[in-house]
Amino acid sequence: MFALWFSVLNSVLAAPEFKIEIKNHLFFPAELTIPADTKVKLRIFNRDDTNEEFESYDLNREKVIMGNSQTVIFVGPLKPGSYEFFGEFYPKTAQGKIHVE
Amino acid sequence: MLLSSVVIILREVLEGAILLSVLLALSSQRDISLRWSLPALLLGSIGATGYAANFETIAAWFDYVGQDIANATLHLLIVLSLTAFAILHQVYERSHNNAIIACMILAVAFTVVREGSEIILYLSGYMNNSEVFPSVMLGGIIGSGIGASIGTLLYYALSCFLINSARKIAYLLLSLFAAGMSLHVVTMLTQADWMASGHSLWDTSGWIDESSLTGQLLYAVTGYESTPNANQVIAYIAGILLLLLLPRLLKKGFEVYEAKS
Repeated sequence: MFALWFSVLNSVLAAPEFKIEIKNHLFFPAELTIPADTKVKLRIFNRDDTNEEFESYDLNREKVIMGNSQTVIFVGPLKPGSYEFFGEFYPKTAQGKIHVE
Repeated sequence: MLLSSVVIILREVLEGAILLSVLLALSSQRDISLRWSLPALLLGSIGATGYAANFETIAAWFDYVGQDIANATLHLLIVLSLTAFAILHQVYERSHNNAIIACMILAVAFTVVREGSEIILYLSGYMNNSEVFPSVMLGGIIGSGIGASIGTLLYYALSCFLINSARKIAYLLLSLFAAGMSLHVVTMLTQADWMASGHSLWDTSGWIDESSLTGQLLYAVTGYESTPNANQVIAYIAGILLLLLLPRLLKKGFEVYEAKS
């Protein structure tokens, strides 16, 4: 009973999940829209063989993602606006934006 | 490729270099041989290699937030080692040198594990790419060289001051460093959703941007964060108090206790 209650509560409270992929040192999608004032779970898949580091000064986030692997990063709740992120290991190509509306 | 690898390696090396030079300056003031830095760097390098080698497994823990938890633990261990160091260093003016050396070895080793593992993960990504690997390695060597030079300069700059002012400056730098580390603990736990998040309290990015050279330098020395949330600010203040205030309070307490007995 407790387990059922917990799983129901968990699914109600769970942060909405958004997926991002890294391919050829590019983010797909490069621009993402998420709701304002809401905690969001970003699941990032690195489809390249090389490691990458998801980094964002605007979001206060940095995390290494090994090649052919995935990671989870929680962001928000955020105020409406645009927040840039980039791949620290390939900053010239790996760039993206999160729009908060 | 060359420039970005210089910047990435410099960022990683700088924190360790600054911590090491401040602790070395405090050691030489106390006539502690600087040899402790070798086992510290060696232990740190072994730890960094082990962490990087098992990174994929660790990163997958707790639904892919294992990296954040491991890094938060490392940052916390750095803060605790530095707090123990500050207490022993200030309470005991002459004795307990071995315990002080142990704390310094731990603080530097944990920092090298944290930063060194990221360097290994960065460089290993280029290992099979013979076209860019030489320039990435060259960038890494230049970046490490600049970081080590800044550390050496800081060490000699601290040695130029009179003993009392050098000690004050060293402690100020050390407490800002520890404060930055406690802030990182909160950042990592928030990123993993193990700690509640909140809106940022202020935004100083218009004043000093984190991506600028000043911002990056401030980040390495003081853990500068342009948009901190309430938990991060509390952790930062707690870090400063642990290093600056707690040792003094304990020292006063011991003095009162000894005067009574």
